[in-house]
Amino acid sequence: MTNDGVIVAVIDDDPSVRRGLSRLFRSRGYRVETYASARGFLERGDYARLACLVLDVRMPGQTGLDLQDVLTVGGHDLPIVFITGHGDVPLEVRALQAGAVDVLAKPFDDETLFSAVERAVAKNRAVRTLGERR
Amino acid sequence: MNARGAVTEEASPGLGARGQSALRVLGTALLVAVAYYVGANAGFILGLPASTPSVLWLPNAILTATLLLTPVKRWWIYLLAAFPAHVASKFGAPLPPVLVLALFATNCSEALVAAVCVRRFSDAPTRFDTLRRVAVFIGGAVLIAPFVSSFADAAVVSELKQAPYWLVWRTRFIANALTELTLVPAIVGVVTARSSWGPETPLRRYIEAGLLALAMTTVGAVVMEGLVHGPSAIPGAPYTPLVTLLPFILWAAVRFGPGGASLSLLCTVLLAIVVSVHGRSVATAMPSADSVTALQILLFVVAIPFMCLAAVFDERRRSNEALADRLRFEELLVRLSSTFVHLPSHEVETALETSVAQLGEFLGLDRVTLYRLSRDAGEEFAVAYTWSAPRVRPLPRVNPRKDFPWIHAQLLRERPVGFSHPGQLPPEARTDAETFRRRGIRSNLSIPMVAGGRILGCLAFVTVTVERAWPDELVQRLRLVGEVFANALAQQEAEDTVRASELMKSAILASLKSDVAVLDREGVIVTVNDGWMRFERENGGAPEACVGTSYLDAWRHAADKDVPHAAEALAGTQAVLDRSSASFALEYACRESGYERWFAISVVPLNVPGGGAVVSRSEITERKRAELEVQLSRQELAHFSRVSMMGELTASLAHELNQPLTGILANAQAALRFLDATPPDLSEIRAILSDIVDDDKRAGEVIRRLRGLLRKEDVRFRALDLNVLIRDVAKLLTSDAVIRNIAVRLELAPDPVLVSGDSVQLQQVVLNLLLNAMEAMAECAEDGRSITVRTENTDVDAVHVSVQDAGTGFHQGTQHLVFEPFYTTKPSGMGMGLAISKSIIEAHGGLIWAEDNSIAGATFHFSLPTAGARSE
Repeated sequence: MTNDGVIVAVIDDDPSVRRGLSRLFRSRGYRVETYASARGFLERGDYARLACLVLDVRMPGQTGLDLQDVLTVGGHDLPIVFITGHGDVPLEVRALQAGAVDVLAKPFDDETLFSAVERAVAKNRAVRTLGERR
Repeated sequence: MNARGAVTEEASPGLGARGQSALRVLGTALLVAVAYYVGANAGFILGLPASTPSVLWLPNAILTATLLLTPVKRWWIYLLAAFPAHVASKFGAPLPPVLVLALFATNCSEALVAAVCVRRFSDAPTRFDTLRRVAVFIGGAVLIAPFVSSFADAAVVSELKQAPYWLVWRTRFIANALTELTLVPAIVGVVTARSSWGPETPLRRYIEAGLLALAMTTVGAVVMEGLVHGPSAIPGAPYTPLVTLLPFILWAAVRFGPGGASLSLLCTVLLAIVVSVHGRSVATAMPSADSVTALQILLFVVAIPFMCLAAVFDERRRSNEALADRLRFEELLVRLSSTFVHLPSHEVETALETSVAQLGEFLGLDRVTLYRLSRDAGEEFAVAYTWSAPRVRPLPRVNPRKDFPWIHAQLLRERPVGFSHPGQLPPEARTDAETFRRRGIRSNLSIPMVAGGRILGCLAFVTVTVERAWPDELVQRLRLVGEVFANALAQQEAEDTVRASELMKSAILASLKSDVAVLDREGVIVTVNDGWMRFERENGGAPEACVGTSYLDAWRHAADKDVPHAAEALAGTQAVLDRSSASFALEYACRESGYERWFAISVVPLNVPGGGAVVSRSEITERKRAELEVQLSRQELAHFSRVSMMGELTASLAHELNQPLTGILANAQAALRFLDATPPDLSEIRAILSDIVDDDKRAGEVIRRLRGLLRKEDVRFRALDLNVLIRDVAKLLTSDAVIRNIAVRLELAPDPVLVSGDSVQLQQVVLNLLLNAMEAMAECAEDGRSITVRTENTDVDAVHVSVQDAGTGFHQGTQHLVFEPFYTTKPSGMGMGLAISKSIIEAHGGLIWAEDNSIAGATFHFSLPTAGARSE
């Protein structure tokens, strides 16, 4: 599979959502890391090994957008696919402006998810290639 | 009357003019002086022959009469006035001044002893109309006074005339005793005559007196003529013809009392003296001094029995008169009493008016007034009926409490007050006395009218033309009259009260909107009001027939026909009639031709000795309909409010549902992919399916909770645990709380918090309080946003729930307003949420309130009765 070795991180406070997404990604050949909160993710660190971040917008404590800000400020150019339970247009706009690859409304079709993630991975790859060339 | 003697001088004590009184004293003194002088000279003239002592010695008797008629404190004036007369009378006889003085002293001493004795021992010193009074007079004035004073006088005279002492003493004693006996009653009688010879004295009395005087004069003249010119009288008894005068003295004594007797005796004595004078010329064998003594003794012996006889007759006559008077009064009393017995109350007024007039005429008064005690404006007497004699002006305007405060107070204590003139009132009755004087009232008697121990009014008896005494006996009788009147008034009052209460009863019954029936102890209808009759008529019954039928039977028949509530109504009414229940109330429906009518009946006991009950029935269909509408609209409103709350929750709910749906979709699509693999990882697929089932259940729970809140069905009370209910609601809000970054803490009681209630409604309350709390913190710093929900079983029969936020709290003093409908501080929102919560909690028998926290935010509380403790 072309996706071998590509690591996707999933951050969602809902365990069932985490498990479901984890299975989907694995069935597609991705490697998956799941986190219940932004904090847990930040504690792990080492963002370079990740190809893409699937991030829930609303979470207790730090929200997805907060995390996006933290990563941007830290200079970590990690592509993010937001997933949200609220069809919230202003939020969507804000996330995209801040550089998100896509914002998906829950529940979403697997193809939609994969398409978004593939774009993200591609973006990540492109960024890396650019970085190496530089 | 004891005071009569003083009347000559003090008839009008109230007139009070000191000058007038002094003038009167002076006049009396002058009169005494003149009388003394004339009397002294007459005494000299009446001596026969000139050298012998007087047959009558007038001055002493004149002084005695004066002292009896005048007050003791003025005696010295009159005695002094007599002194010049005494000196003047002695001018003819050349006597040394000492002797003149001595003789005056003995004269005065006789009068003083006489007056003192009579005043001391007689109950009426100026009246000689009872045997006792005559005896006191004879003993004191006629015997003791001349007896005592003659010792000194005899000493003086015997020295002067060189006569034997005892002869002089005896002569003076007899002469003075005779004079006192005949002259004093005559003078006193004449002076006081105006009391017994007033305008009321019938003409025949005057005619009779005139006839008597004429007869005595004629007979006296004839006797004198016979003695002077006719054949000589029996030798040695020159006064025998005087016997012819005895019948006339007897006449006077019997018909005119002691006064008449003493006047006629005086005439006889004077006649006898004239005869003696002439008898001397006729020549008698007797020596003149002995002749005089014989005459005196004869007169004395005649006079005393006649005086006594007169007194006895007078006493008899007066007691007869008193008896007749009493009899007439008794008759009047009987007449009055019989008038008022069984008198219809509307005739009482006329009868009282007539009786007051009768009483006034009977007693010969000037005015009689009946006052009634009015209890409305304090205790005050008010004029009810008044009668005035034709010659008297009618009763002026009067305010008894103000004008006669003392008498007013006495009457209220049921004490009668009477006086002959206002001067007799005690000093504390100054105002009363002043009013009487100003109105020219001479005498007054006020009698309280008492019936059954209750004072109902008073009677006032008044004289303005004459003074009048009020003997105890009269007062007693008038009290009886007062009692008769009072009983009549009490009877009238009672009848009026009964009639008024009858009228009021029927007016009340007629005015009642409900249909009312009064039942006797057996449940038989005794009386009904118009409403009840109208109802019977409208419902096909015979309206008149309902009275006399059994109300219980009516329900019994209905119960036999299985009419709903009939058995309950029967038992309840029966219980009230048996007094086993204090009241009974029932609301029931009657279905007639598809139309439902509601009635309420209430049965209360009739508090009369015979027992019974009052049934009131009213149609409450309108009210029931309105109640139903209110209930429906309240439910609609509550439902609407819940739905609108759901609107606020949409985002949260979407999230709540999206989470499981996302999980399900992801898992399901992953499973499909796993199935394509060879060999399929079955354990993975099983785990996936298990997750899907869980997620589906989770979504189902959300839907269940949502439906629970949005359910629109009738209110149903059942036991439920508030802890469970609160957890459910809190779960609905979890996402919302997450979105708003609010920590919701539940500090619930460890034991179930059981209440009886409608779960939908109570969830609505909790949801409303939580949403309110969340909104209250919308503008607060994110890190401080928290809500704490607490439950506790406060005591055996109540639970307490509080929702505490850390928001902005209330604006000062608006806590009580938040539960008012349409009160809102939010730009969106109807302001109905808390008002509905309040109506829900109150419908559950609980209380809801709010207060500011000590640090930040507000806390809403509600309490509810524990399940089973609710008293409905």
